[in-house]
Amino acid sequence: MEVMMLLVYDQPGVMQRVMGEFNRKRINVETIVVGKCEMPERARIVLSIEDREKALSVMEHLRALQEVIEADLVDHSRHEAYALLQNREGICRVTGSVEEVDLIVKKSQPEKYVQAMNAI
Amino acid sequence: MMKGAKAAVELLKQQNVEIMFGIPGGVLLPFYDELAQSDIRHILPRHEQCAGHMADGYARVSKKVGVCIATSGPGATNLVTGVATAFMDSSPMVAITGQVATAVLGNDAFQEADSFGLMMPITKHNFRITDPKLLPETIKKSFLIATTGRFGPVHIDIPVDIFHADITDEQMEREVKIPKPKKNLTGLLDAVKLLEKAERPTIMIGGGVGWSRAGGDIMRLAEMLMAPVVTTLMAKGSVPENHPLVLGVCGMHGRQVANYALNNCDVLLAIGTRFSDRVTGKLSEFGVKTKVVHVDIDSSEIGKNVKGRVGLVGDAWTVVNALISGLQMRARSATWRDRIIQLNKECSCDYNLKSEPLKPQKVIYEMSKNLPDDAIVTTEVGQNQMWAAHFYKCYGKRMFITSGGLGTMGFGFPAALGAKIARPSSVVADIAGDGSIQMVSQEFATAVENDIPVIVCLLDNGWLGMVKQWQKLFYGSRYMASKFAGTTPDFVKLAEAYGAEACRVDRPSEVAEAIKRATKAEVPYLIDFIIDPEEDVLPMTPPGMTSVNCIKGRCEWKGGVA
Repeated sequence: MEVMMLLVYDQPGVMQRVMGEFNRKRINVETIVVGKCEMPERARIVLSIEDREKALSVMEHLRALQEVIEADLVDHSRHEAYALLQNREGICRVTGSVEEVDLIVKKSQPEKYVQAMNAI
Repeated sequence: MMKGAKAAVELLKQQNVEIMFGIPGGVLLPFYDELAQSDIRHILPRHEQCAGHMADGYARVSKKVGVCIATSGPGATNLVTGVATAFMDSSPMVAITGQVATAVLGNDAFQEADSFGLMMPITKHNFRITDPKLLPETIKKSFLIATTGRFGPVHIDIPVDIFHADITDEQMEREVKIPKPKKNLTGLLDAVKLLEKAERPTIMIGGGVGWSRAGGDIMRLAEMLMAPVVTTLMAKGSVPENHPLVLGVCGMHGRQVANYALNNCDVLLAIGTRFSDRVTGKLSEFGVKTKVVHVDIDSSEIGKNVKGRVGLVGDAWTVVNALISGLQMRARSATWRDRIIQLNKECSCDYNLKSEPLKPQKVIYEMSKNLPDDAIVTTEVGQNQMWAAHFYKCYGKRMFITSGGLGTMGFGFPAALGAKIARPSSVVADIAGDGSIQMVSQEFATAVENDIPVIVCLLDNGWLGMVKQWQKLFYGSRYMASKFAGTTPDFVKLAEAYGAEACRVDRPSEVAEAIKRATKAEVPYLIDFIIDPEEDVLPMTPPGMTSVNCIKGRCEWKGGVA
């Protein structure tokens, strides 16, 4: 699993443009997190994809976009996963390393869950 | 303080826009009302697609940004092909579309289409202005983006209320900056070393060389390295094809000597080319024995299709000159150069074919011979394009303009009109097919209305020729939807109906005379060459294959596997 971090201008259409590059290269994005960041009018996109080769193949195309300021792969030690789980007892939230969260989600067999990755 | 429409026109003038190609519509009326009072020339094509191609043709000749404009909805969707064509061939363009008012945007208003979304994947960048105060900087930025780094089209979607909004002087004067294009010449020394050690160096150039105007420098480098120069379709015209080291166009329908050099060199210096599949054939076998030095202004092209030994990011002119100053002048073996020059001579077979029915090669031969040294040739797409690429000789100030990337039928005629506007002193001729011209024949109206005397050399065989050729070669001659079964118009009458002049030629002996007459005409001129429908474009390397599988036809190449 590779995690990529992009710094972009925070404006309408950015996600469509960024995802367009993944679409063209037929890369499925596993998880994606977008949010405001320390700089005004900028946003960070953190997304994960399975294959390293594919991640590298799309990188220069992302950097060529006018609205993308930075695009880089993030070192594995800086990844974090989280998940929201729901079953009869209620809603439970899990954070931790990718392996830990994977394990908990698998073990608890929730009725419904969503899992994502983040990095910094 | 001024209204958005006036501001837009003022900003275009500030960008030195002299001419625009476009069709008005409801949401553009405030803009057109202001445009009427400016000295920007406006050309009214009869279809928005052609507005795009005209702006593109204008840009390719003038090396300035071509500007086209279309209304919302269908105007924008029609413009898409023109913009996509410019995108694939890295042509600088600013395409403006009107849009429904921001108040109703997204509500399926009359003539609303998501042009912002439609244009996104086929532009270098695009904008939708929803805040009037951003109008000035957006227009300024668009021109900057179109002409910085790798050129390309930029689209601006402007809702009608922005044209009515107030723009302040402060907003008009706001300056804009965009990041400088990245350069990476850290591999320069490695590239120089590879080239110095090369026994069989070959230079392959693409469209980037034309945009960077580096043709002369390429020839200097070629002579230093004693290396032949092979061009892609997009580079045709960048280097003089009457020079013994220039081997012409390579690839699927390329010259055998050009493909021979590509396949037999030990070091390939590829400049401003993206290794299209039409050039490489079977990608996994392209350049496996070759050390590739890849030079491109766009870092995302390096290693995209062909993994090279060295990648240099920069514009062709800068990198070529850096290589020239890095190379030592020293004695080299002339064996490779001499062999290639000999093969190049042998590859130049006679195509002054006098047999009947008239052969397309004969038409191109006579065009090569009779057009002036500064003529501009455009082509449509298909057999006409490949015959032109293979047999037409570009040298001196001649230019060759074609839709290489997208392969847009109907490109050549409107692009010729744009080219003629950019350089009125040159003879401009479109090499067309009867399939392509039927996609854009309405533009004879534009040509006549605006006194744009271009020549249309119509290679008329009654077929969608390239489709027919593939059906013949790869689908057991099962022809489907490729023949115009007796329903093509009389092209001479068609042109004349618009007020152009025209003639029909079906004998080889009449070709030269007709071309000479057309070059002297003061109105648009169509020559309907009735050519042999059985003639294919050969040689041909079938798609996804290598030169071993080349179908040679008339070609008498004896130089070994090309």
